[in-house]
Amino acid sequence: MSTPEATSEQDETLESLFEGYTPEEQTLLDKIQTFLYESVYSPFLIMWVDWRTRVGLMILLGFVLMGTVGPRVVERTYVNHGPYTQPWFQSMDHPLGTDRIGHDILSLTVHATPAMLEMVAGGAIFAVVVATLVGTVSGYTGGKIDFVLTTFTDIALNIPGLPLIIVLAAIFEPERAFLVGILLTINAWAGLARAIRSQVLTIRQEAYVEASFTLDMPLSYIVRRDILPNLMPYILMNLMEMARHVIFASVALYFLGILPFTTHNWGIMLNEAYQHQAHTRLDLFYWMAVPIIVIGLISVGLILVAQGMDRVFNPRVRARFDQSKETSTEVDNV
Amino acid sequence: MAVTESSYSTGSSEDVIIETHDVSVYFEMDRGTSKVLDDVSLDIYREEILGIVGESGSGKSMFASALLDAVVAPGKTSGDILYHDADGSTIDVLSLNQEELRAFRWEKVSMVFQGAMDSFNPTLRIKGHFIETLKAHDFDVDEGLERATDLLAQVYLDPDRVLSSYPHELSGGMKQRVLIALSLLLDPDVLVMDEPTAALDLLMQRSILRLLENLQQRYDLTVLFITHDLPLVAELSDRVAVLYAFQFVEVGPVSELLERSSHPYTRALLNAVPTLQTPLSDMEPIEGSSPDPINVPTGCSYHPRCPLADERCIGEEPPFYATEHDDHQTKCFHWEDAISEIPLAHHKSTTGSSQIVEGKQSEEPVLTLDNLCVHFENNNSFLGLFGESQTVFAVDEIDLDLYENDILAIVGESGCGKTTLGKASIALQRPTSGEVQYRGDDIWAVKDGRSESDRSYSAIRRALQIIHQDPGSSLNPNQKILRTLESPIKHWKSDMSQTDRRSQIYGLLEYVGLTPAEEYAQRYPHQLSGGEKQRVALTRALLMNPEVILADEAVSALDVSLRVEMMDMMISLQNMFDTSYIFISHDLANARYFAGSVGGRIAVMYLGEIVEIGPAEEVIQNPKHPYTKVLKWSTAELDSDASQEELPLRNIDIPDPVNPPSGCRFHTRCPEARTECRVNSPKLEATDDGDGIEAHQVACFLDKPRDHPYWSSDQLVSEDNPTLVE
Amino acid sequence: MWGFLTTITSLEFKGGKAFKPEEEHYLCMHWTVKRIFQAVFTVYVVVTLSFALIRLMPGGPMDYLRATLLGPDQTGTVDRERLNRQIELYMNINPDQPLWEQYVQYMSSVFTGDFGQSIWFNRPVAEILLEALPWTVFVMGIALLLTFAINIALGAIMAYKEGSRFDISMTFLSIISTSIPFYVGAILFLLFFSFTWELFPPGSRVNARLDPWTFEWIMSVLHHATLPILSSVLIGLGSGALIMRGNSIQVLGKDYLRVGRLRGLPEGRLALRYVGRNAVLPMYTSLMIAIGNVFGGAVVLEEIFTYPGVGYYLFVAVEARDYMLLMGAFILITVAVVVCLVVADLTYGLIDPRAKGGGYDEHA
Ligand code: SF4
Ligand code: SF4
Repeated sequence: MSTPEATSEQDETLESLFEGYTPEEQTLLDKIQTFLYESVYSPFLIMWVDWRTRVGLMILLGFVLMGTVGPRVVERTYVNHGPYTQPWFQSMDHPLGTDRIGHDILSLTVHATPAMLEMVAGGAIFAVVVATLVGTVSGYTGGKIDFVLTTFTDIALNIPGLPLIIVLAAIFEPERAFLVGILLTINAWAGLARAIRSQVLTIRQEAYVEASFTLDMPLSYIVRRDILPNLMPYILMNLMEMARHVIFASVALYFLGILPFTTHNWGIMLNEAYQHQAHTRLDLFYWMAVPIIVIGLISVGLILVAQGMDRVFNPRVRARFDQSKETSTEVDNV
Repeated sequence: MAVTESSYSTGSSEDVIIETHDVSVYFEMDRGTSKVLDDVSLDIYREEILGIVGESGSGKSMFASALLDAVVAPGKTSGDILYHDADGSTIDVLSLNQEELRAFRWEKVSMVFQGAMDSFNPTLRIKGHFIETLKAHDFDVDEGLERATDLLAQVYLDPDRVLSSYPHELSGGMKQRVLIALSLLLDPDVLVMDEPTAALDLLMQRSILRLLENLQQRYDLTVLFITHDLPLVAELSDRVAVLYAFQFVEVGPVSELLERSSHPYTRALLNAVPTLQTPLSDMEPIEGSSPDPINVPTGCSYHPRCPLADERCIGEEPPFYATEHDDHQTKCFHWEDAISEIPLAHHKSTTGSSQIVEGKQSEEPVLTLDNLCVHFENNNSFLGLFGESQTVFAVDEIDLDLYENDILAIVGESGCGKTTLGKASIALQRPTSGEVQYRGDDIWAVKDGRSESDRSYSAIRRALQIIHQDPGSSLNPNQKILRTLESPIKHWKSDMSQTDRRSQIYGLLEYVGLTPAEEYAQRYPHQLSGGEKQRVALTRALLMNPEVILADEAVSALDVSLRVEMMDMMISLQNMFDTSYIFISHDLANARYFAGSVGGRIAVMYLGEIVEIGPAEEVIQNPKHPYTKVLKWSTAELDSDASQEELPLRNIDIPDPVNPPSGCRFHTRCPEARTECRVNSPKLEATDDGDGIEAHQVACFLDKPRDHPYWSSDQLVSEDNPTLVE
Repeated sequence: MWGFLTTITSLEFKGGKAFKPEEEHYLCMHWTVKRIFQAVFTVYVVVTLSFALIRLMPGGPMDYLRATLLGPDQTGTVDRERLNRQIELYMNINPDQPLWEQYVQYMSSVFTGDFGQSIWFNRPVAEILLEALPWTVFVMGIALLLTFAINIALGAIMAYKEGSRFDISMTFLSIISTSIPFYVGAILFLLFFSFTWELFPPGSRVNARLDPWTFEWIMSVLHHATLPILSSVLIGLGSGALIMRGNSIQVLGKDYLRVGRLRGLPEGRLALRYVGRNAVLPMYTSLMIAIGNVFGGAVVLEEIFTYPGVGYYLFVAVEARDYMLLMGAFILITVAVVVCLVVADLTYGLIDPRAKGGGYDEHA
């Protein structure tokens, strides 16, 4: 249906208004291009401009490569693969040294990556999705649903996370990497959910949301277009933080021997070093240092990218980017 | 005839309290130096009230800060600022060291900022602010607090209550008055006020001005009042200086400036202001916008906007010329022509209602409000255990009809419930009781599926649109304008081709003055000015071809010169789209301009009730309710010698809507209140003064015949010293 | 859990959109009752959860205990009745009763302070944990206060010197410190301070040969607690300072500071009463998060430093599959955290005059 109770006379006046305008029709290809440009290319370039984000992206890219290509390139290690407890930077065969039973540490590190990435992705995505869902729904709907969700969130928030995880891990003994990830963020979503809820409550008051409501736009539109884009930088930053949280917590729990040992894992490497008193002897320090450095590196990468997120969604930065792109094409044309 | 640059402020030096010579404020930037105050010189006389008028971004706040050497880093101040103390000594303000400056500020010259809302430490009680100031300047605390009590009482506040409050417990108007009291605590000679009332209601603004006048006389103050609002200072000031593009362009006694202003810019400013007296047709906005500090036009900086500009104005900077009046100077080559070439609107005729465009309202109402109430429960109880819920009576028992092509302006102070009434009328706020009918169908019944009507809620919803007050939040900051405007059409007229859709949008944008439309459509909201954002918001509201548009203070946040333009545009679109407006404003003059031009009505609201309603001109020219009269008083008139009558209110602050006063709700403030008013509440009834305008209704006993008990009951007098009554 | 702290960090030092604690206008009384009710409910949920985990998990704690009691040969010589009585002794659950009675029995014993019997130590769980609790509270309390004090001071100084070399290098250090998991710090401390330089003891809480409450004894307690405290301070150090820095920078730009300066207030007062006070307020929320983190971190730290607190026993319980001790420790830690949070929440109103009802619920 068209406008309510619109008279033809009115339509005529309107028609006269719009004469003289024939914007070009966009083809499907154009649309896809615009979409790719707006949602992939320009965010990437905006992040790339800032050197800190660039470093962060490169670090993360490195880990993704290590998790996908790495195991195919680096040979899987075995007992008596090399000499026992050879320190790092001593031979080309075992650049990062070997452990007590001759495992190559470089190989251990690389082969631990795929499971690690799976766990991180599982946990971080789980937490962020749950938090966003709970926060948005409870903030937007209000009433009884809100009350139930808020109570649920507050309880989850009040329970200390690590002890809860330890108890659950001790009883369930999860082995699949992504399940471990979910377990590690079992109540980590709560804080984010609450922050999102209060943010949604604020955004809901914004005039432009009321305007969309007045235009009777569907709820999905309001949530997708008016509410979520405001939260996106925050949500993505938290995705990165959750990832860090999962890495830290998992390494801690493997290190303490609370999670069941499965495949190779940075935490398990740490645990084995610890079991062999590497923390009491400086000459075995490299054994612990490798996993620690790896964890620190990925953590720095995540922090740097998280900081860059803010820029991608900032309309001011985007507008400036659009403009600079326009001017540059102009130059090209000349 | 030309006088030298710096000597345009004549006057013997013992009269002068502050001399400024070639004062500049500048910022060093990568691109070069940005001067936000450009070699200005002005003398301020002892015990005068000097108004400084300029658009936002004209450098007026910088001038204020410079007087106290308080320009925020990295800004720098140069030039000479000399303060002549009462004892004859002279202080060179810009050469004071930290410690001397600390003593100079607040003891000699104090300052009230624009952002009173944010001028107090939120974790410190008001009393703490007074005490710490006294201590910092080694004043006696007890004596000081006595003076504070005295000052607070003089600004119509209850000293004990206010002193023991935290800042967030006070309303904006209260805070601003506390700030004034705080600034006078150390008995300074000069008070600099930088847009002190900008964020307040007109009525509060006017009340504060009146208080300021009293304070100025009582404490022999020199007051520097800085504002963008010429009429506001016109009444208060002795002299006015007009600032344009970081320089003064005209200085003179206020009567001279109003009657014989000789700079084209000043005259344009005067003509851009809607007032109650000026004939509607003569108000015109100023075209163009004021320049940027890094890009000031050559020659006379006003030439791009000046109707009298010629070659000389572009190439050469005009000096100051003295006019016939010896204290009145103008920085314009053609000042003599300006007087004849640019006639002043308020000179022509002062009898209003000259022309009323006949609206073509329908017989059948579009919207009908029937006994509408909106109450908010402040429910704090836990499982109802401590059941201490408070009810805010935002809107109480209102009956109203709105017709096709109608304009209804709702006027009242903030907190009177006008926004709630507006939102309830367009079904954005569910009423507690009563009905809102759209062409005879109860909207909420339709929404809840309780109605037989075959009209869909969605259709009603889209027929009632809104334009919000704050341009900053009216558009989604994350979307380009095109997307904001395109989405509703895509959703509701999905059969429309992209070409048609866009051409409709571009056409509308073009019509509201955003050209080139294609380029504007590709912008993000932050790339638009406030006025432009409001136009986009207007465009969006029109997309659905609505029956009624609620304009909630839609022009209040705009610069004076833009308001008229925006209102004109809204009115012309009404003709094209056959839309009705509900126009909410705290400013009677805007309401009159908007409603008056198409024969609309004005409704005056007080604490949730309509106290007077009628045809716009009738309500303005012949107000019946004391509150309407007060509002009218608050609408500053361009009249330098407006009478010095007392504040026509017994109390400045609006009572808490949680516990509205008994009887007539206005009785706590009404100057005409009698004991009868405290007991009984008057009904909204047609006035019978025999002018035959039936639609004019008022809720006040004053309008009743002499045999009404009101006339025989006792006058309520204000308790001697005006303090808070509740 | 410790992810949150750093979450807030990265928002703050960007100067990005950080979410401030919401303001609300609940009446104090009602809110207090509501908050306490919520806390009790949380504890109730946790205890119920522990029951469910013990009783309902197939192959879980109950079956494990049964198997343990039956001994290695599993011949079933022990008669069923006696076995169940033993299970009841350890777990406060009699498997012969209907489920709801088991539940009531379990809940009532836990709420009267009976956490069952530890298999590993063969002592009542409550006894073990109550003896350990003061040590945990001692170490973690000091760590918490220290972290907070250092963060506030550091953050405020960084804000005052925004853009200086000090500010930049501290910001950099803070990012580094948040990038390293705190247990890594603990291990490094142990490696260098205990084993390499032998400055601090690597484990236990006090020299057991000393008489309690003598001067030597107290010194020994502090000596033993130093490394755990130091590593715990590391948990929240960098990120907290960055939050404080962001808050202070915000306050430094407020009008009230400008007006205060114009009124000639001494710099000291401006720094403490204006900037300090207003910048610390939002930190209070992060303090609450820090409480949870610190207790969570305690589990790991006490294990690394073999410091017998509640967390240490939690860990021992996991290794020994001593489920009653595990649940007891978990419940006790939860209670401790919940109590801290309630106290923090309820006192917030005292510090911030605008919050009549503390840090929750944003309906105004
Ligand atoms: S000098 Fe020229 S341009 Fe400037 S105001 Fe006068 S007439 Fe206009
Ligand atoms: S009824 Fe009485 S109090 Fe009310 S407005 Fe009229 S005179 Fe004033």
